[in-house]
Amino acid sequence: MSTPEKCLCGNDDEAGLIERLEEIIITLKEKPGALIPVLQATQSLFGYIPNEAILKISEILNEPLSKIFGVITFYSFFSLKPRGKYLIRVCMGTACYVQGANEVLTALKQQLSIDIGETTEDKIFTLDIGRCFGACGLAPIIMVNDDVHQWIKSSDVAKIIKNYRRQEQPKTTEVL
Amino acid sequence: MQISINNNTYAAFEGETVLDVAKRNGIYIPTLCYHVKTGQSAKCRACIVSVEGMRGFQTSCNLNVREGMLVQTETKEVIDTQKQIVDLMLASGYHNCLACERSGSCELQDVCYHLGIEKTSFKDAPTGIKDESSEFIVIDYDKCISCGRCVAVCNNNVVNEVLGFGYRGKQTTIMCDNNIPMGDSSCVQCGECVQICPTGALTDKKSRGKGRFAQFEKVDTTCPYCGVGCQLTLHVDRAKNKVVRVTGRDVWPNNGMLCVKGRYGFEFHASPKRLQYPLIKRNGKHERASWDEALDYIVDRTRTITAQYGPDVFSALGSGRITNENNYAIQKFTRGVIKTNNIDHCARTCHAPTVAGLAHAFGSGAATNSIDEILETELIFVIGSNMTEAHPVVSYYVKKAAKNGAKLIVCDPRKVDIAHWSDLFVQLRVGTDVPFLNGLINEIFKNGWHDEAFMKNNTENPDDIKKWVADYPIEKASLLCGVPEEMMRKVAQMLGEAKKVSIIYCLGITEHTTGTDNVKTLANLQMVLGHLGKRGCGVNPLRGQNNVQGACDMGALPNVYHNYQSVTDEKVIVKMEKDWGISGLSRKEGYKLPTMLHKARSGETKILFCVGDNTVQTEPNTAKTIKEIEALEFLVVVDIFPNMTTEYADVILPDVCFNEDEGTYSNLDRRVQFLRKAVEAPGEARPTWWIMQELGKRMGVDLGFQSAKATWEDMRRTGTIMGGITYERIQTNGLQWPCPTVEHPGTPILHLNGKFTRGLGLFSKTNYRPQAELPDAEYPFILSTGRRLWHYHTGTQTRNSIGLENIFPEELLEISPYDAKIMKVKTGDMVKATSRRGTITLKAWVTDRSPAGVTWCAFHFREAHANVLTIDAYDDVTETPEYKACAIKIEKVSEGEPVVSRGFRQARP
Ligand code: SF4
Ligand code: SF4
Ligand code: SF4
Ligand code: FES
Ligand code: FES
Repeated sequence: MSTPEKCLCGNDDEAGLIERLEEIIITLKEKPGALIPVLQATQSLFGYIPNEAILKISEILNEPLSKIFGVITFYSFFSLKPRGKYLIRVCMGTACYVQGANEVLTALKQQLSIDIGETTEDKIFTLDIGRCFGACGLAPIIMVNDDVHQWIKSSDVAKIIKNYRRQEQPKTTEVL
Repeated sequence: MQISINNNTYAAFEGETVLDVAKRNGIYIPTLCYHVKTGQSAKCRACIVSVEGMRGFQTSCNLNVREGMLVQTETKEVIDTQKQIVDLMLASGYHNCLACERSGSCELQDVCYHLGIEKTSFKDAPTGIKDESSEFIVIDYDKCISCGRCVAVCNNNVVNEVLGFGYRGKQTTIMCDNNIPMGDSSCVQCGECVQICPTGALTDKKSRGKGRFAQFEKVDTTCPYCGVGCQLTLHVDRAKNKVVRVTGRDVWPNNGMLCVKGRYGFEFHASPKRLQYPLIKRNGKHERASWDEALDYIVDRTRTITAQYGPDVFSALGSGRITNENNYAIQKFTRGVIKTNNIDHCARTCHAPTVAGLAHAFGSGAATNSIDEILETELIFVIGSNMTEAHPVVSYYVKKAAKNGAKLIVCDPRKVDIAHWSDLFVQLRVGTDVPFLNGLINEIFKNGWHDEAFMKNNTENPDDIKKWVADYPIEKASLLCGVPEEMMRKVAQMLGEAKKVSIIYCLGITEHTTGTDNVKTLANLQMVLGHLGKRGCGVNPLRGQNNVQGACDMGALPNVYHNYQSVTDEKVIVKMEKDWGISGLSRKEGYKLPTMLHKARSGETKILFCVGDNTVQTEPNTAKTIKEIEALEFLVVVDIFPNMTTEYADVILPDVCFNEDEGTYSNLDRRVQFLRKAVEAPGEARPTWWIMQELGKRMGVDLGFQSAKATWEDMRRTGTIMGGITYERIQTNGLQWPCPTVEHPGTPILHLNGKFTRGLGLFSKTNYRPQAELPDAEYPFILSTGRRLWHYHTGTQTRNSIGLENIFPEELLEISPYDAKIMKVKTGDMVKATSRRGTITLKAWVTDRSPAGVTWCAFHFREAHANVLTIDAYDDVTETPEYKACAIKIEKVSEGEPVVSRGFRQARP
């Protein structure tokens, strides 16, 4: 049996990941404009950009912290907080709002026990809001990653969440 | 070309913006993000105008003029749109001016006034978010209009690279580092961002509630701290006789920029601890006396002692911290009244090797070029200078040049903070400058990178140097200095191929037993490269204290009168005797500072008259210094605060400080700059020139010092290189010597076109000699010493100003991570550092600023200062002590609180 490759599930210990990040930064270091590729690598390595990584990048690339932080927060691709596997975005555009988006949002917060911008402890869901998704005819709308859920009522929320969560249950077919 | 603004025609020049033309002609256009120092950013849109033939509105701050352009700045449409823009800006913050520090000096307020906006027509939404975490600066986010000026200056002018913009769109906000509180960030509190902020978003914490800008008298003067000599404005509360705020002046050498000491270290002048009355030691206690009593007593003792033992038992110390006038007064008194040349000052402890070494090589012992030229050079070679801490404003220029594309090489045994901005950081071993530099010169010859023509035409002995450095092939040099051969080759190549090289150095070069040799070797290097006598080149020592250049210029030295006129040159002596109306001036050179002190123990020095020099704390090997001071028969100390030396004084006289009298300082690029009186001195404090005049009078000589100005004029009559500098000429800008006549414009660059002051440049032979005390089994670490950003000299000024001590409250011993691991020491643990001469106990700072085997601390805190440990070994030419190297051992005493690292921070853990 060969030892399995380190996985990217986020359960790898952060110290180990930081070491790996260091290697990546060093290989990219000499390229002009190394910062963005380094940040992309960090994002996919950790699933977000931890503070420790920012300090490391600053040290090795010799770039000011403020510049790195500015870039991270400018591009929505990068995230400073761990993101869940599913990003739930609630449209708060006018049409959705009028059709009760706020109630849907409240229900989501309650169901997930998190606030806007936060991630559930099991790292499955992150809750966020957005402006008009451009499908007002279907209002109110929520999006879970790329799936659109239309004409949502707050009473639908529990079921939707359960469906996604079920996909995450480990399959217990193996006999222990 | 011509353009029309509001139907009037104005001349305009290629490359100008519409705003430039409007400003020049007194036409007001609101601007908020634009500032001459940060340039165009076209962010705020307050400056819009309409231009015929162009759609919509244009931002005038970045609109280049074109022939025949028709511009309107005040039509109803323009004003209405500007109103809308500013209205929105107001609405996205909270601008209640009533209690705002900047009310009356706020550019946003001015713009609203111009546009007639009373309050925003939207609902404003205060967040109440303020960052008060830093010592000196408050950020009020509700008043920030995101103009970006602070971000621009922090990154492009002072290049501390702390501030940035975070997030996007409406959420955009300024922030420090990775969005952490300013107090935790790498901010060095230089305050440049405060000075440039157009609103009340960034304000000085210590002047909050003290009054509005317009309320105070503004007095322009010179910074009392380091040798950069920054020009600043004191905002003075007349009624309270206090300075309440300091701002930088937009003139050379600092162009408005300051460092934390210059901007925020000003309260010492009003400290209740100041010396205010003469004190005489009676029965072991210092008791208040009248000036007459004190002066009579000094005269009486001096007369009695010198009558019995001759004038040479008298020694005097001037100071690099007091004015030119006062230094001149002391030397004239010592030479003219006592008739000895035993006068010296603290340049002995720092840049005496510079004066000796450069005078030997070039004929003039000062910086060859000016600070601003750093921005024009191609390669900056920094060696032995911790400039971000000791000469912060010079470091801003160096960092800016490096950011704009100049190459920066930093050579130092320690990874000083400036190394973070360098292209190449060369970590040589302590005390190996001579082999390192000789190795480079050798390599430069080997590759033909030297300037043959310059050497041939402008130097005396071009063939010698080739022979001399032949002993230092790169392989051998590399072994001695510990720099890999490859890196040495790289440095030599960069030096050899650059078209303009500026060499900048500081005490890492001079404070060694080989100090003068180190300086000479640097001079050799630059003469080989031929980068002398041109803009952006030269050999540039960073003189340490505010007026250490001036103290030398004024002749507070045992071998020269003012302006470097030799005390053994009969012609000079006769000139002085004639002008001063005094006969019998001493014909022999006086003692240097260490000799004065050594001779105390053999009874050859009996009187020490010490002005502004805390000898006990600043000389190496404190235990020995104390013995010498105790051996004196009579010690007079003139100073502004009690210190370690006043404790031993028989008489203490209270001096005035930098803002209590007029006078001049000479900064590190030979610029004589003016000081103005801003406040009244405390108690009965008197200027030194007055003290000298009174003592002279009592001893039968009228020295002619009726005022600071009269003292300066007295100097000027017999002055040479400074003869043309008058108070009238330096009211707004300083003048650089040589300036021999009142018509002379001053000299920014010495040795122009390679014509050296001494005629031809002179190469010197230098050889490697190891430091006096090498580490051994018992004392395994090297201790090197220096200065911290937050403090100055023996701390009397910085520790008596509010806030600096909160940032850096006590001395720390810097230890490398490697050694710390072995000794199981963490930052914050108490350690005991012991040398053969003494022991101090202080906290450790584990930092990669120190290489393995090397430790470092400063001498600012009397509780634990480096000089208890340093060695009394001296440069053989100048007697400058080897502060940069002695051997110590370290023991851990106790555990401290663990310290969390927040990333790279300048100048503190
Ligand atoms: S803090 Fe001041 S200078 Fe900085 S962006 Fe805000 S308003 Fe402009
Ligand atoms: S005080 Fe100086 S270093 Fe600190 S943020 Fe302002 S400009 Fe930057
Ligand atoms: S750099 Fe020197 S002269 Fe300038 S403000 Fe700081 S201490 Fe004063
Ligand atoms: S408002 Fe929600 S999709 Fe347009
Ligand atoms: S001043 Fe022109 S856009 Fe701000």
